[in-house]
Amino acid sequence: MTTETYPTTSLSLAEQEQIARRAKFQYNLRRASIYALAIAIAIWILLPIWLVAVMAFSTPADVRGFPKQIVPVPLSTDTMEFFLNQDGILRAARNSVVVAITTLVLSTIIAVPAGYAIARYVFPGRDAIRLGILSVRAFPIVVLAVPLAVTFIELDMYDKVYSLALMHTALTLPTTILVVASVFAGVPYELEEAARIFGCTPTQAFIRVVMPLALPGIAAAAILTFVLSWNEVFAAILLTISNRTLPAQILYTLDKSGDPFKFAGAFFMLLPAMIFIFFIRRYLFSMWGINK
Amino acid sequence: MRKLHWTPYLLLLPSMIYLTLFFAYPMVASLQLAFRKDVQYLKLREEPESDAAETGTLAMQTAVAVLDRMRLEETLPNGRTRPIYWFRVQAEDTEGTTVEGWVNQENIFIESRTQSDTARIVTGEAAKEWTFDFVKRMVNDFRFGKALRTTILLIVLIIPLQFILAIVMGLVLQSGIRFTNFFLYIYAIPLGVSDLASGILWYSIFTQRGFLNSWLVELGLRERPFIFIQSGHENWMILAIVLAEVWRATSIVMVIVVAGLQGIPKDYIEAGQVFGANLWQRIRFIILPRLMPSLQVALILRTILAFQVFAVVVAITGGDVMTVLANETYRWYDPARFNNSNVAAAYAGFIMLLSLGISFFYLRTVRAQEERESQQ
Repeated sequence: MTTETYPTTSLSLAEQEQIARRAKFQYNLRRASIYALAIAIAIWILLPIWLVAVMAFSTPADVRGFPKQIVPVPLSTDTMEFFLNQDGILRAARNSVVVAITTLVLSTIIAVPAGYAIARYVFPGRDAIRLGILSVRAFPIVVLAVPLAVTFIELDMYDKVYSLALMHTALTLPTTILVVASVFAGVPYELEEAARIFGCTPTQAFIRVVMPLALPGIAAAAILTFVLSWNEVFAAILLTISNRTLPAQILYTLDKSGDPFKFAGAFFMLLPAMIFIFFIRRYLFSMWGINK
Repeated sequence: MRKLHWTPYLLLLPSMIYLTLFFAYPMVASLQLAFRKDVQYLKLREEPESDAAETGTLAMQTAVAVLDRMRLEETLPNGRTRPIYWFRVQAEDTEGTTVEGWVNQENIFIESRTQSDTARIVTGEAAKEWTFDFVKRMVNDFRFGKALRTTILLIVLIIPLQFILAIVMGLVLQSGIRFTNFFLYIYAIPLGVSDLASGILWYSIFTQRGFLNSWLVELGLRERPFIFIQSGHENWMILAIVLAEVWRATSIVMVIVVAGLQGIPKDYIEAGQVFGANLWQRIRFIILPRLMPSLQVALILRTILAFQVFAVVVAITGGDVMTVLANETYRWYDPARFNNSNVAAAYAGFIMLLSLGISFFYLRTVRAQEERESQQ
C-alpha cells in the first residue's frame, strides 16, 4: 500500500479546536436531550402510578380531601385495610388467584407441545397454523364472551370459577404458544442432536436437555399468562355473578364506591402485575412472535 | 428434519381442539344468538287428528274464523270422559294466502267452544327463524350511534398518538444511552396494568377532587375545581380516556417497535449519517420503511383491541354519560339491566365485523402500497 495523503486543511489550529469544541458541545447537547426525553417519558409512566400509590397509603380522610397531597403524609394503611375489609374483596382476590393459576397451568400444559412443534418441526401447514394462532390472538374477547356465557348457562357451568379459567385459557393460549415457540427456538438444536447421538431417546433428550434450558422462558410465558388472566375484566364480569374475580368485583361496585375504595383497589390490582413484569422483562420481545 | 411426520400434528392437536372449541364454536353460537329467534307456528290439519296431513301454518295471535267444530271424547285414567273440541278454522297466513284446516282446542283462545265463530291462535310448535329484529333493536337504540361515534373517535385519536410515542420510546431505547434496561422496564410497566386499573389511575387525576384540579387550584389558575367529567364536557372526558389508553397500551406497540428496530442493521443508519441525513431524514427514509412490517402487526392488533375499549371508559366516566360499543354489549347482556343476550350478541357481531373490516382494509392498503412501490 502506498502512503495516502490527506487533503491539508487551511484552518488554523485555533479554528480547528473551535470546530471540535462546537461538535463536542452539540454531541453533548444531543445526549442530554435524549436523556431528558428518556426521563420525561419515565415520569409520564410513573407519575399516575405514584399518585395512586400515594392515595392508597394516605388516610381515608386525606384521600377524600382537597387539594390532594402528592406525598403520603401521614403514611397510613387504613385505606388499604378499608378496601380489603370490604364485602367480597378478599373472596374476589382469592377467585382471581384461583382463576389465574388454573389458567396458567392449563395454558402452559397445552401450549408447550404446540410451541415445541412450531419451533422444531417443518411440516405442511406450519405457516397456516402459525398465522391462525396469530389471528386468534387478536380476536375480540367481547365477541367470545357473550355466546360462551349463554352456552355456560345451558351447560350449568355459569358463574363458576373454573369456567372463567377455561375462557381465560382460550384467550391466553395463542400468546402462550407463540412465546413458548420462540423460547424453544432459542435452544440450539445441536444440543438436542448431541444428546440423541449419546443415546438419549427423543423424549429423554427433550426432558434432560431442552427442558432445563427452556424452563426460564416457559416460566416467563406462564407469568405472562397469569398477568393476562389477573387483568382480564370483560369476560370475568359476563361469566360470573357471585364468584366474581377482583377486577370484575371492583368494576361492578365502581359506581357505588368512594374514592378510597377505587384508589386502593387500583393499587392492589397493579402491584402483582408490576412485580411480574419485572421478572419477565427479558422475554418481552419474544412475546409477540415477530422476532422469530 | 425428522421422519415422524405425524409428531408435530399430534403435539399441536390439543391446542387446535381447544381453540376450535373456544373460538369457532362461540362464533357460530354468536351468530345464532344475533340472527335466530324463537318463534311458534301452529300447523293446520286436514282431519281433526294431530297426526293428519298439514294444510298450512299460522303465526301466533292470528285471528281466525271458525267454520266448523267437532266434539270428541277423551277417556281419563279414572274411566270418566271429557269433551275435546277440534275446530275447522280459516285465516290468512304470513304470506297472505288464505288457509284452512283443523286445530285442537288447546292451541287457540276461544270464548265459547260451542258458540263462538272467531278465535285466536295462542300456542304452536317451537321453531327458530332468521331475524333482523335484534340487529334493528341495536341500531335503533339511541345509544348505538353515540357508542359507535365515541369508539371510532377514540381510535382515530389514540392510535396515531400511540404510534408516535412508541416510536419515540423505541428510538430513545436504541440510542445507546446508559440505564437502557432500567428505562425499558419502566416503559414496559403498563403492559401489566389492566384497563380497569389504568382507568382508575386517570380518574384520580381528572375527577372533581382529583390531582389536576388540586394543581390548578394550588397554582391559582382556578378558584374552584373544574368538573371535567360530566355530561356536556365530552371533550374533557375524551381527553381523559385518550390519555389513559395512550398511557396503558403504548407499551405493547413500543415492544413491537423495539423488536423491529433491533432488526435494522446499524450500518444502514450509520450510512445515512455519513451521507449527511439529519435525524428526521434518517427516521423517514431509513428507519420507518424497515419498521413497516412490525408496525402493520402492531396497527392491526391495536385497532382491533381499541374496538373493545371498555373498562377504561367505565372507570373514568361511569359508562353512562359516555359509552362505547363494548359497554353497550355489557349493558344489554347484564342480567341486572336489559338482560338481552340476543342484542348483546348483535353488538358483539358488529364489533367482530368492524374488526374484520379494518384488518382487511389495512392489509389491502399495505398490499396496494407495496405494488405501487414495486412498480416504481
